[in-house]
Amino acid sequence: MRRLALLTVTTLLLVLALPALAFAQDGPTVADLSLAMDTMWVIVAAVLVLFMQAGFAMLEVGFSRMKNVGSVVAKILVNLAIAALLFWAVGFAFAFSDGGALNSIIGTQGFFLAVPEGQVNSVFAGLSWTQVPLSAKFLFQVAFCAVSLAIVWGTMLERTKFAVYVIFAVVFAGLIYPLVGHWIWGGGWLGSLGMQDFAGSTVVHLSGAMAALAGTLLLGPRLGKYDDDGNPVTIPGHNMPLAVLGVLILWIGWYGFNPGSTMAAVPEIADIAVTTTLAAAAGVLGAMIMSYVYRRNVDVGMGGNGAIAALVAITAPCAFVAPWASIVIGFVAGVIMYLTLVFVDKIGVDDPLGAIAAHGMGGIWGTLSAGLFTTPELAVIGQPGLFYGGGFYQLGIQALGIVACGGFVFIASLAVFAALKATIGIRVKPDQELDGLDIHEHGVFGYPDLVATDYQNGSGNGSRQSKPAAERTS
Amino acid sequence: MERPITQATGHNNNIVIVFEDRVELRSGWQGQNTENVKLRDISSVGVRGFVNVTLTIQENTGRVYRLDRMALPDARRIKSTIEQQKSRASLYE
Repeated sequence: MRRLALLTVTTLLLVLALPALAFAQDGPTVADLSLAMDTMWVIVAAVLVLFMQAGFAMLEVGFSRMKNVGSVVAKILVNLAIAALLFWAVGFAFAFSDGGALNSIIGTQGFFLAVPEGQVNSVFAGLSWTQVPLSAKFLFQVAFCAVSLAIVWGTMLERTKFAVYVIFAVVFAGLIYPLVGHWIWGGGWLGSLGMQDFAGSTVVHLSGAMAALAGTLLLGPRLGKYDDDGNPVTIPGHNMPLAVLGVLILWIGWYGFNPGSTMAAVPEIADIAVTTTLAAAAGVLGAMIMSYVYRRNVDVGMGGNGAIAALVAITAPCAFVAPWASIVIGFVAGVIMYLTLVFVDKIGVDDPLGAIAAHGMGGIWGTLSAGLFTTPELAVIGQPGLFYGGGFYQLGIQALGIVACGGFVFIASLAVFAALKATIGIRVKPDQELDGLDIHEHGVFGYPDLVATDYQNGSGNGSRQSKPAAERTS
Repeated sequence: MERPITQATGHNNNIVIVFEDRVELRSGWQGQNTENVKLRDISSVGVRGFVNVTLTIQENTGRVYRLDRMALPDARRIKSTIEQQKSRASLYE
Protein backbone atom coordinates (compact mmCIF):
# COMPACT_ATOMS: atom_id res chain seq x y z
CA MET A 1 0.00 0.00 0.00
CA ARG A 2 2.86 2.31 0.91
CA ARG A 3 4.58 1.45 -2.35
CA LEU A 4 1.44 2.32 -4.33
CA ALA A 5 1.10 5.65 -2.51
CA LEU A 6 4.77 6.47 -3.19
CA LEU A 7 4.38 5.65 -6.89
CA THR A 8 1.28 7.81 -7.18
CA VAL A 9 2.90 10.79 -5.48
CA THR A 10 6.05 10.43 -7.66
CA THR A 11 3.97 10.28 -10.80
CA LEU A 12 2.01 13.37 -9.83
CA LEU A 13 5.18 15.27 -9.05
CA LEU A 14 6.68 14.34 -12.41
CA VAL A 15 3.56 15.40 -14.27
CA LEU A 16 3.60 18.73 -12.50
CA ALA A 17 7.33 19.26 -12.94
CA LEU A 18 7.79 18.30 -16.63
CA PRO A 19 6.08 21.32 -18.23
CA ALA A 20 8.05 23.60 -15.95
CA LEU A 21 11.24 21.84 -16.97
CA ALA A 22 10.29 22.18 -20.63
CA PHE A 23 9.73 25.90 -20.32
CA ALA A 24 12.94 26.27 -18.35
CA GLN A 25 14.97 25.19 -21.45
CA ASP A 26 16.27 27.83 -23.91
CA GLY A 27 13.75 27.72 -26.77
CA PRO A 28 14.03 29.43 -30.16
CA THR A 29 13.41 33.13 -30.01
CA VAL A 30 11.12 35.06 -32.33
CA ALA A 31 14.22 36.25 -34.19
CA ASP A 32 15.38 32.64 -34.67
CA LEU A 33 11.99 31.63 -36.02
CA SER A 34 11.92 34.65 -38.31
CA LEU A 35 15.35 33.75 -39.69
CA ALA A 36 14.32 30.15 -40.20
CA MET A 37 11.13 31.19 -41.99
CA ASP A 38 12.96 33.65 -44.22
CA THR A 39 15.63 31.10 -45.07
CA MET A 40 13.06 28.46 -45.85
CA TRP A 41 11.15 30.86 -48.10
CA VAL A 42 14.27 31.98 -49.98
CA ILE A 43 15.38 28.37 -50.56
CA VAL A 44 11.91 27.41 -51.83
CA ALA A 45 11.91 30.47 -54.10
CA ALA A 46 15.41 29.64 -55.36
CA VAL A 47 14.32 26.10 -56.21
CA LEU A 48 11.30 27.48 -58.08
CA VAL A 49 13.59 29.77 -60.08
CA LEU A 50 15.99 26.90 -60.76
CA PHE A 51 12.98 24.87 -61.92
CA MET A 52 12.49 27.52 -64.62
CA GLN A 53 15.42 25.85 -66.42
CA ALA A 54 13.06 22.94 -67.05
CA GLY A 55 10.59 25.46 -68.44
CA PHE A 56 13.17 26.93 -70.80
CA ALA A 57 14.19 23.42 -71.85
CA MET A 58 10.63 22.40 -72.71
CA LEU A 59 9.88 25.73 -74.38
CA GLU A 60 12.99 25.54 -76.57
CA VAL A 61 12.48 21.86 -77.34
CA GLY A 62 8.89 22.53 -78.35
CA PHE A 63 9.83 25.40 -80.66
CA SER A 64 12.76 23.49 -82.21
CA ARG A 65 12.62 20.92 -84.95
CA MET A 66 12.96 17.34 -83.74
CA LYS A 67 16.44 16.97 -85.23
CA ASN A 68 17.79 19.54 -82.75
CA VAL A 69 16.10 18.72 -79.44
CA GLY A 70 19.09 16.89 -77.95
CA SER A 71 21.33 19.90 -78.53
CA VAL A 72 18.80 22.13 -76.78
CA VAL A 73 18.75 20.11 -73.57
CA ALA A 74 22.53 19.61 -73.65
CA LYS A 75 22.93 23.37 -73.92
CA ILE A 76 20.56 24.01 -70.99
CA LEU A 77 22.51 21.58 -68.82
CA VAL A 78 25.95 22.95 -69.63
CA ASN A 79 24.82 26.54 -69.18
CA LEU A 80 23.32 25.85 -65.77
CA ALA A 81 26.55 24.13 -64.73
CA ILE A 82 28.78 26.96 -65.97
CA ALA A 83 26.53 29.65 -64.49
CA ALA A 84 26.61 27.95 -61.08
CA LEU A 85 30.40 27.60 -61.01
CA LEU A 86 31.31 31.00 -62.49
CA PHE A 87 28.80 32.88 -60.36
CA TRP A 88 30.18 31.14 -57.27
CA ALA A 89 33.79 31.88 -58.23
CA VAL A 90 33.56 35.52 -59.31
CA GLY A 91 30.09 36.59 -60.46
CA PHE A 92 28.43 36.85 -57.06
CA ALA A 93 31.35 38.89 -55.73
CA PHE A 94 31.30 41.27 -58.71
CA ALA A 95 27.53 41.70 -58.33
CA PHE A 96 26.94 42.09 -54.62
CA SER A 97 30.15 42.78 -52.75
CA ASP A 98 31.41 46.16 -51.67
CA GLY A 99 33.72 47.57 -54.32
CA GLY A 100 35.20 50.39 -52.25
CA ALA A 101 36.10 53.25 -54.57
CA LEU A 102 34.73 51.26 -57.52
CA ASN A 103 31.47 50.39 -55.79
CA SER A 104 29.31 52.36 -58.19
CA ILE A 105 30.57 50.08 -61.01
CA ILE A 106 31.63 46.71 -59.59
CA GLY A 107 32.15 44.73 -56.39
CA THR A 108 35.69 43.62 -55.59
CA GLN A 109 35.51 41.33 -52.53
CA GLY A 110 34.20 37.93 -51.50
CA PHE A 111 35.38 35.81 -54.41
CA PHE A 112 34.56 32.09 -54.04
CA LEU A 113 32.15 33.17 -51.26
CA ALA A 114 35.18 33.51 -48.98
CA VAL A 115 34.26 35.93 -46.19
CA PRO A 116 35.98 36.49 -42.82
CA GLU A 117 33.95 35.40 -39.81
CA GLY A 118 31.18 37.88 -38.95
CA GLN A 119 31.78 40.17 -41.92
CA VAL A 120 29.19 38.86 -44.35
CA ASN A 121 27.10 42.02 -44.29
CA SER A 122 30.06 44.35 -44.75
CA VAL A 123 31.61 42.29 -47.59
CA PHE A 124 28.33 41.61 -49.39
CA ALA A 125 26.86 44.99 -48.63
CA GLY A 126 24.58 44.82 -51.65
CA LEU A 127 22.52 42.10 -49.97
CA SER A 128 22.89 43.18 -46.34
CA TRP A 129 19.22 44.21 -46.26
CA THR A 130 18.11 40.57 -45.99
CA GLN A 131 18.89 38.50 -42.90
CA VAL A 132 19.09 35.08 -44.60
CA PRO A 133 22.43 33.24 -44.60
CA LEU A 134 24.98 33.90 -47.34
CA SER A 135 24.39 30.45 -48.85
CA ALA A 136 20.69 31.21 -49.32
CA LYS A 137 21.48 34.60 -50.89
CA PHE A 138 23.89 32.95 -53.30
CA LEU A 139 21.53 30.13 -54.23
CA PHE A 140 18.74 32.58 -55.02
CA GLN A 141 20.95 34.90 -57.07
CA VAL A 142 22.71 32.16 -59.04
CA ALA A 143 19.30 30.91 -60.15
CA PHE A 144 18.63 34.39 -61.58
CA CYS A 145 21.95 34.41 -63.40
CA ALA A 146 21.13 31.03 -64.96
CA VAL A 147 17.76 32.34 -66.15
CA SER A 148 19.37 35.35 -67.81
CA LEU A 149 21.87 33.09 -69.55
CA ALA A 150 19.12 30.73 -70.74
CA ILE A 151 17.36 33.67 -72.41
CA VAL A 152 20.43 34.39 -74.56
CA TRP A 153 20.14 31.18 -76.53
CA GLY A 154 16.46 31.35 -77.41
CA THR A 155 17.26 33.31 -80.55
CA MET A 156 20.29 31.27 -81.55
CA LEU A 157 18.75 27.80 -81.63
CA GLU A 158 19.42 25.17 -84.28
CA ARG A 159 22.59 26.59 -85.84
CA THR A 160 25.07 27.54 -83.12
CA LYS A 161 28.25 25.63 -82.31
CA PHE A 162 28.21 24.01 -78.88
CA ALA A 163 31.59 25.57 -78.02
CA VAL A 164 30.04 29.02 -78.41
CA TYR A 165 27.47 28.25 -75.71
CA VAL A 166 30.24 27.21 -73.35
CA ILE A 167 32.63 30.12 -73.94
CA PHE A 168 29.98 32.83 -73.92
CA ALA A 169 28.43 31.38 -70.75
CA VAL A 170 31.75 31.84 -68.96
CA VAL A 171 31.95 35.53 -69.89
CA PHE A 172 28.26 36.25 -69.35
CA ALA A 173 27.91 34.55 -65.95
CA GLY A 174 31.33 35.68 -64.78
CA LEU A 175 31.30 39.32 -65.83
CA ILE A 176 28.52 40.77 -68.00
CA TYR A 177 25.51 39.79 -65.89
CA PRO A 178 27.20 40.53 -62.52
CA LEU A 179 28.13 44.04 -63.68
CA VAL A 180 24.55 44.92 -64.58
CA GLY A 181 23.34 43.26 -61.39
CA HIS A 182 25.74 45.38 -59.35
CA TRP A 183 24.63 48.60 -61.00
CA ILE A 184 21.00 48.10 -59.97
CA TRP A 185 20.94 45.63 -57.05
CA GLY A 186 24.45 45.62 -55.63
CA GLY A 187 24.77 49.24 -54.58
CA GLY A 188 25.90 50.55 -57.97
CA TRP A 189 25.13 53.84 -59.66
CA LEU A 190 21.67 53.01 -61.01
CA GLY A 191 20.50 51.72 -57.64
CA SER A 192 21.76 54.92 -56.04
CA LEU A 193 19.69 56.95 -58.48
CA GLY A 194 16.60 55.03 -57.35
CA MET A 195 16.00 52.78 -60.35
CA GLN A 196 13.08 50.42 -59.70
CA ASP A 197 13.70 46.86 -60.87
CA PHE A 198 12.25 44.68 -58.16
CA ALA A 199 12.95 41.23 -59.60
CA GLY A 200 14.90 41.92 -62.77
CA SER A 201 13.00 43.03 -65.89
CA THR A 202 16.20 44.83 -66.83
CA VAL A 203 18.89 42.96 -64.89
CA VAL A 204 17.78 39.48 -65.90
CA HIS A 205 15.50 39.67 -68.93
CA LEU A 206 16.64 42.71 -70.90
CA SER A 207 20.25 41.66 -70.36
CA GLY A 208 19.58 38.19 -71.73
CA ALA A 209 17.63 39.56 -74.68
CA MET A 210 20.27 42.13 -75.65
CA ALA A 211 22.98 39.47 -75.59
CA ALA A 212 20.69 37.32 -77.71
CA LEU A 213 20.20 40.13 -80.22
CA ALA A 214 23.96 40.68 -80.49
CA GLY A 215 24.58 36.98 -81.09
CA THR A 216 21.77 36.62 -83.61
CA LEU A 217 22.94 39.57 -85.69
CA LEU A 218 26.34 37.94 -86.12
CA LEU A 219 24.99 34.42 -86.49
CA GLY A 220 22.48 35.03 -89.27
CA PRO A 221 19.16 33.29 -89.88
CA ARG A 222 18.65 29.55 -90.19
CA LEU A 223 18.87 28.07 -93.67
CA GLY A 224 15.41 28.27 -95.21
CA LYS A 225 14.10 30.91 -92.82
CA TYR A 226 13.83 33.52 -95.59
CA ASP A 227 12.61 32.79 -99.11
CA ASP A 228 14.20 34.05 -102.32
CA ASP A 229 12.41 37.39 -102.02
CA GLY A 230 13.59 37.83 -98.44
CA ASN A 231 10.19 37.17 -96.91
CA PRO A 232 10.19 35.26 -93.61
CA VAL A 233 9.08 31.64 -93.77
CA THR A 234 7.51 30.08 -90.70
CA ILE A 235 9.58 27.18 -89.41
CA PRO A 236 7.17 25.58 -86.98
CA GLY A 237 8.33 23.95 -83.78
CA HIS A 238 7.78 20.21 -83.57
CA ASN A 239 5.79 19.99 -80.33
CA MET A 240 3.38 22.67 -79.16
CA PRO A 241 2.24 20.79 -76.02
CA LEU A 242 5.85 20.70 -74.82
CA ALA A 243 6.23 24.41 -75.58
CA VAL A 244 3.10 25.23 -73.58
CA LEU A 245 4.27 22.95 -70.77
CA GLY A 246 7.46 25.01 -70.77
CA VAL A 247 5.44 28.23 -70.53
CA LEU A 248 3.42 26.87 -67.61
CA ILE A 249 6.57 25.71 -65.79
CA LEU A 250 8.04 29.19 -66.31
CA TRP A 251 4.81 30.75 -65.04
CA ILE A 252 5.00 28.64 -61.86
CA GLY A 253 8.70 29.38 -61.52
CA TRP A 254 7.89 33.07 -61.61
CA TYR A 255 6.25 32.70 -58.18
CA GLY A 256 9.78 32.16 -56.92
CA PHE A 257 11.16 34.87 -59.14
CA ASN A 258 8.90 37.76 -58.12
CA PRO A 259 7.57 37.03 -54.60
CA GLY A 260 10.92 35.42 -53.74
CA SER A 261 12.72 38.68 -54.44
CA THR A 262 11.47 39.95 -51.09
CA MET A 263 14.06 37.47 -49.70
CA ALA A 264 11.94 37.39 -46.57
CA ALA A 265 8.75 35.56 -45.60
CA VAL A 266 6.61 38.69 -45.37
CA PRO A 267 2.87 39.07 -46.07
CA GLU A 268 3.61 41.18 -49.16
CA ILE A 269 4.62 38.05 -51.08
CA ALA A 270 0.91 37.29 -51.54
CA ASP A 271 0.29 40.72 -53.10
CA ILE A 272 3.24 40.21 -55.45
CA ALA A 273 1.95 36.77 -56.43
CA VAL A 274 -1.41 38.36 -57.29
CA THR A 275 0.09 41.06 -59.54
CA THR A 276 2.24 38.36 -61.20
CA THR A 277 -0.78 36.16 -61.89
CA LEU A 278 -3.00 38.94 -63.20
CA ALA A 279 -0.31 40.25 -65.53
CA ALA A 280 0.42 36.81 -67.01
CA ALA A 281 -3.28 36.17 -67.58
CA ALA A 282 -3.72 39.52 -69.31
CA GLY A 283 -0.61 38.87 -71.42
CA VAL A 284 -2.02 35.62 -72.79
CA LEU A 285 -5.21 37.40 -73.82
CA GLY A 286 -3.35 40.37 -75.29
CA ALA A 287 -1.16 38.16 -77.49
CA MET A 288 -4.04 35.90 -78.54
CA ILE A 289 -6.22 38.87 -79.51
CA MET A 290 -3.34 40.32 -81.54
CA SER A 291 -2.83 36.97 -83.20
CA TYR A 292 -6.50 36.79 -84.16
CA VAL A 293 -6.59 40.38 -85.42
CA TYR A 294 -3.40 39.92 -87.44
CA ARG A 295 -3.82 36.38 -88.78
CA ARG A 296 -7.45 35.42 -88.09
CA ASN A 297 -6.36 32.47 -85.97
CA VAL A 298 -5.36 32.04 -82.35
CA ASP A 299 -1.70 31.07 -82.35
CA VAL A 300 -0.80 28.79 -79.43
CA GLY A 301 2.87 29.75 -79.43
CA MET A 302 1.97 33.44 -79.41
CA GLY A 303 -0.32 32.88 -76.43
CA GLY A 304 2.59 31.32 -74.57
CA ASN A 305 4.94 34.10 -75.57
CA GLY A 306 2.30 36.60 -74.44
CA ALA A 307 2.33 35.04 -70.97
CA ILE A 308 6.12 35.19 -70.86
CA ALA A 309 6.25 38.79 -72.09
CA ALA A 310 3.74 39.80 -69.43
CA LEU A 311 5.62 37.95 -66.70
CA VAL A 312 8.82 39.65 -67.82
CA ALA A 313 7.08 43.02 -67.80
CA ILE A 314 5.58 42.64 -64.32
CA THR A 315 8.93 41.49 -62.92
CA ALA A 316 10.21 45.04 -62.39
CA PRO A 317 7.08 46.66 -60.92
CA CYS A 318 5.43 43.61 -59.28
CA ALA A 319 5.90 44.96 -55.74
CA PHE A 320 5.16 48.58 -56.58
CA VAL A 321 1.87 48.53 -58.50
CA ALA A 322 -1.81 47.92 -57.83
CA PRO A 323 -3.54 44.80 -59.22
CA TRP A 324 -5.46 46.78 -61.88
CA ALA A 325 -2.18 48.22 -63.14
CA SER A 326 -0.65 44.75 -63.41
CA ILE A 327 -3.48 43.79 -65.78
CA VAL A 328 -2.73 46.81 -67.97
CA ILE A 329 0.99 46.09 -67.88
CA GLY A 330 0.46 42.43 -68.81
CA PHE A 331 -2.01 43.11 -71.61
CA VAL A 332 0.16 45.79 -73.20
CA ALA A 333 3.18 43.46 -72.90
CA GLY A 334 1.32 40.78 -74.86
CA VAL A 335 0.42 43.25 -77.61
CA ILE A 336 3.91 44.75 -77.79
CA MET A 337 5.46 41.29 -77.87
CA TYR A 338 3.39 40.32 -80.91
CA LEU A 339 4.16 43.52 -82.82
CA THR A 340 7.87 43.21 -82.03
CA LEU A 341 7.95 39.59 -83.12
CA VAL A 342 6.46 40.46 -86.51
CA PHE A 343 8.85 43.41 -86.91
CA VAL A 344 11.95 41.43 -85.93
CA ASP A 345 10.98 38.67 -88.36
CA LYS A 346 10.57 41.17 -91.19
CA ILE A 347 13.95 42.86 -90.74
CA GLY A 348 15.80 39.58 -91.12
CA VAL A 349 16.53 38.65 -87.51
CA ASP A 350 15.68 34.98 -87.05
CA ASP A 351 14.41 34.49 -83.48
CA PRO A 352 12.91 30.98 -83.25
CA LEU A 353 11.67 31.42 -79.70
CA GLY A 354 10.62 35.06 -79.75
CA ALA A 355 13.09 35.89 -76.98
CA ILE A 356 13.90 39.36 -78.29
CA ALA A 357 10.22 40.24 -78.36
CA ALA A 358 9.19 38.57 -75.11
CA HIS A 359 12.21 39.22 -72.91
CA GLY A 360 13.62 42.29 -74.66
CA MET A 361 10.53 44.38 -75.31
CA GLY A 362 8.79 42.87 -72.29
CA GLY A 363 11.76 43.95 -70.18
CA ILE A 364 11.79 47.47 -71.61
CA TRP A 365 8.04 47.94 -71.19
CA GLY A 366 8.09 46.47 -67.68
CA THR A 367 10.93 48.69 -66.54
CA LEU A 368 9.21 51.79 -67.96
CA SER A 369 5.86 50.77 -66.49
CA ALA A 370 7.33 51.03 -62.99
CA GLY A 371 7.91 54.69 -63.75
CA LEU A 372 4.27 55.01 -64.79
CA PHE A 373 2.24 52.91 -62.33
CA THR A 374 4.20 52.83 -59.04
CA THR A 375 1.89 53.91 -56.23
CA PRO A 376 3.08 56.30 -53.50
CA GLU A 377 2.37 53.72 -50.78
CA LEU A 378 4.43 50.99 -52.45
CA ALA A 379 7.33 53.13 -53.67
CA VAL A 380 9.87 51.84 -51.16
CA ILE A 381 12.58 52.55 -53.74
CA GLY A 382 12.58 55.62 -55.94
CA GLN A 383 9.58 57.88 -56.57
CA PRO A 384 5.91 57.23 -57.38
CA GLY A 385 5.05 56.80 -61.04
CA LEU A 386 3.91 59.41 -63.54
CA PHE A 387 0.23 58.43 -63.22
CA TYR A 388 0.37 58.95 -59.44
CA GLY A 389 1.75 62.46 -59.55
CA GLY A 390 5.39 61.46 -59.30
CA GLY A 391 6.31 63.39 -62.40
CA PHE A 392 8.82 62.28 -65.00
CA TYR A 393 11.76 61.74 -62.62
CA GLN A 394 11.22 58.01 -62.05
CA LEU A 395 10.32 57.42 -65.70
CA GLY A 396 13.56 59.13 -66.71
CA ILE A 397 15.62 57.00 -64.32
CA GLN A 398 13.95 53.86 -65.67
CA ALA A 399 14.73 54.92 -69.27
CA LEU A 400 18.32 55.69 -68.33
CA GLY A 401 18.66 52.24 -66.79
CA ILE A 402 17.31 50.58 -69.93
CA VAL A 403 19.70 52.48 -72.21
CA ALA A 404 22.73 51.96 -69.95
CA CYS A 405 22.19 48.30 -69.13
CA GLY A 406 20.83 47.32 -72.54
CA GLY A 407 23.58 49.21 -74.35
CA PHE A 408 26.35 47.79 -72.19
CA VAL A 409 25.17 44.19 -72.50
CA PHE A 410 24.66 44.55 -76.26
CA ILE A 411 28.12 46.01 -76.88
CA ALA A 412 29.93 43.63 -74.53
CA SER A 413 28.13 40.60 -75.98
CA LEU A 414 28.71 41.79 -79.54
CA ALA A 415 32.43 42.02 -78.77
CA VAL A 416 32.50 38.49 -77.36
CA PHE A 417 30.50 36.99 -80.24
CA ALA A 418 32.61 38.92 -82.79
CA ALA A 419 35.79 37.55 -81.24
CA LEU A 420 34.33 34.05 -81.37
CA LYS A 421 33.21 34.50 -84.99
CA ALA A 422 36.66 35.71 -85.99
CA THR A 423 38.47 32.86 -84.24
CA ILE A 424 36.53 29.60 -83.98
CA GLY A 425 33.36 30.59 -85.89
CA ILE A 426 29.95 30.56 -84.26
CA ARG A 427 27.91 28.62 -86.79
CA VAL A 428 27.90 24.93 -87.63
CA LYS A 429 28.56 23.71 -91.17
CA PRO A 430 25.57 23.67 -93.53
CA ASP A 431 25.24 19.88 -93.67
CA GLN A 432 25.27 19.78 -89.87
CA GLU A 433 22.50 22.36 -89.77
CA LEU A 434 20.45 20.49 -92.35
CA ASP A 435 20.92 17.08 -90.76
CA GLY A 436 20.36 18.49 -87.29
CA LEU A 437 22.71 19.26 -84.45
CA ASP A 438 21.78 16.17 -82.45
CA ILE A 439 23.65 13.70 -84.57
CA HIS A 440 26.59 15.93 -85.50
CA GLU A 441 27.26 17.68 -82.19
CA HIS A 442 26.09 15.06 -79.71
CA GLY A 443 26.15 11.77 -81.56
CA VAL A 444 22.55 10.86 -80.81
CA PHE A 445 19.10 11.74 -82.01
CA GLY A 446 16.65 13.36 -79.61
CA TYR A 447 14.08 10.90 -80.93
CA PRO A 448 16.11 7.88 -82.16
CA ASP A 449 13.23 6.11 -83.88
CA LEU A 450 11.65 9.09 -85.52
CA VAL A 451 13.58 11.99 -86.90
CA ALA A 452 12.95 14.40 -89.77
CA THR A 453 15.89 16.35 -91.17
CA ASP A 454 16.10 18.80 -94.04
CA TYR A 455 17.01 17.75 -97.52
CA GLN A 456 18.59 20.27 -99.77
CA ASN A 457 19.32 19.74 -103.44
CA GLY A 458 20.96 16.37 -103.17
CA SER A 459 23.10 17.33 -100.22
CA GLY A 460 22.93 16.21 -96.66
CA ASN A 461 22.19 12.82 -95.28
CA GLY A 462 18.69 13.50 -94.09
CA SER A 463 15.28 13.29 -95.56
CA ARG A 464 12.06 15.19 -95.11
CA GLN A 465 10.36 11.83 -94.68
CA SER A 466 10.49 10.09 -91.36
CA LYS A 467 12.19 6.75 -91.74
CA PRO A 468 12.45 3.73 -89.49
CA ALA A 469 15.82 3.52 -87.78
CA ALA A 470 16.73 0.28 -89.53
CA GLU A 471 16.14 1.76 -92.98
CA ARG A 472 17.98 4.93 -92.09
CA THR A 473 21.12 3.16 -90.98
CA SER A 474 21.21 0.66 -93.85
CA MET B 1 27.24 10.35 -102.85
CA GLU B 2 30.37 12.39 -103.43
CA ARG B 3 31.84 13.60 -100.18
CA PRO B 4 32.70 17.31 -99.89
CA ILE B 5 36.11 18.32 -98.57
CA THR B 6 34.77 21.33 -96.73
CA GLN B 7 31.81 23.66 -96.72
CA ALA B 8 30.51 26.84 -95.11
CA THR B 9 27.42 29.01 -94.83
CA GLY B 10 27.17 32.58 -96.04
CA HIS B 11 24.28 35.00 -95.64
CA ASN B 12 20.80 34.50 -97.13
CA ASN B 13 20.77 30.72 -97.64
CA ASN B 14 24.08 30.77 -99.54
CA ILE B 15 26.29 27.74 -99.11
CA VAL B 16 29.73 27.07 -100.56
CA ILE B 17 30.93 23.48 -100.81
CA VAL B 18 34.38 22.44 -102.01
CA PHE B 19 34.71 19.08 -103.75
CA GLU B 20 37.88 17.52 -105.15
CA ASP B 21 37.47 19.01 -108.58
CA ARG B 22 34.98 21.82 -108.21
CA VAL B 23 33.31 24.36 -105.96
CA GLU B 24 29.55 24.22 -105.63
CA LEU B 25 27.67 27.38 -104.73
CA ARG B 26 24.13 26.76 -103.57
CA SER B 27 21.54 29.43 -103.08
CA GLY B 28 17.79 29.80 -102.93
CA TRP B 29 15.24 29.05 -100.28
CA GLN B 30 15.82 25.28 -100.31
CA GLY B 31 19.13 25.30 -102.11
CA GLN B 32 17.48 24.86 -105.49
CA ASN B 33 20.01 27.03 -107.37
CA THR B 34 23.41 25.45 -107.86
CA GLU B 35 26.45 26.92 -109.61
CA ASN B 36 29.33 24.59 -110.32
CA VAL B 37 32.74 26.15 -110.75
CA LYS B 38 35.60 23.89 -111.87
CA LEU B 39 38.74 24.40 -109.86
CA ARG B 40 40.74 24.99 -113.04
CA ASP B 41 38.38 27.86 -113.92
CA ILE B 42 39.03 29.69 -110.66
CA SER B 43 41.59 32.43 -111.01
CA SER B 44 41.58 33.75 -107.44
CA VAL B 45 39.89 33.46 -104.06
CA GLY B 46 39.79 36.45 -101.75
CA VAL B 47 38.86 36.94 -98.11
CA ARG B 48 38.00 40.44 -96.94
CA GLY B 49 37.01 41.57 -93.45
CA PHE B 50 37.51 40.29 -89.94
CA VAL B 51 34.19 39.55 -88.26
CA ASN B 52 31.64 39.60 -91.07
CA VAL B 53 33.89 38.33 -93.84
CA THR B 54 33.26 38.48 -97.59
CA LEU B 55 34.56 35.56 -99.62
CA THR B 56 35.06 36.25 -103.35
CA ILE B 57 35.69 33.55 -105.90
CA GLN B 58 36.75 34.83 -109.32
CA GLU B 59 36.62 32.80 -112.52
CA ASN B 60 39.01 33.08 -115.45
CA THR B 61 36.15 34.57 -117.43
CA GLY B 62 35.97 37.46 -114.99
CA ARG B 63 32.81 36.30 -113.27
CA VAL B 64 32.92 36.90 -109.53
CA TYR B 65 30.93 35.09 -106.83
CA ARG B 66 30.57 36.82 -103.46
CA LEU B 67 29.48 35.29 -100.18
CA ASP B 68 28.84 37.82 -97.44
CA ARG B 69 28.87 37.72 -93.65
CA MET B 70 30.92 34.56 -93.31
CA ALA B 71 33.00 33.72 -90.27
CA LEU B 72 36.72 34.32 -90.75
CA PRO B 73 37.85 30.74 -90.05
CA ASP B 74 35.17 29.39 -92.43
CA ALA B 75 36.21 31.72 -95.26
CA ARG B 76 39.90 31.03 -94.71
CA ARG B 77 39.26 27.30 -94.71
CA ILE B 78 37.38 27.53 -98.02
CA LYS B 79 40.15 29.65 -99.55
CA SER B 80 42.96 27.41 -98.38
CA THR B 81 41.12 24.25 -99.45
CA ILE B 82 40.53 25.62 -102.95
CA GLU B 83 44.16 26.69 -103.25
CA GLN B 84 45.36 23.38 -101.89
CA GLN B 85 43.21 21.46 -104.34
CA LYS B 86 44.37 23.60 -107.23
CA SER B 87 48.04 23.13 -106.37
CA ARG B 88 47.53 19.41 -105.88
CA ALA B 89 45.79 19.15 -109.25
CA SER B 90 48.60 20.99 -110.94
CA LEU B 91 51.02 18.35 -109.70
CA TYR B 92 49.30 15.77 -111.83
CA GLU B 93 48.88 17.87 -114.97
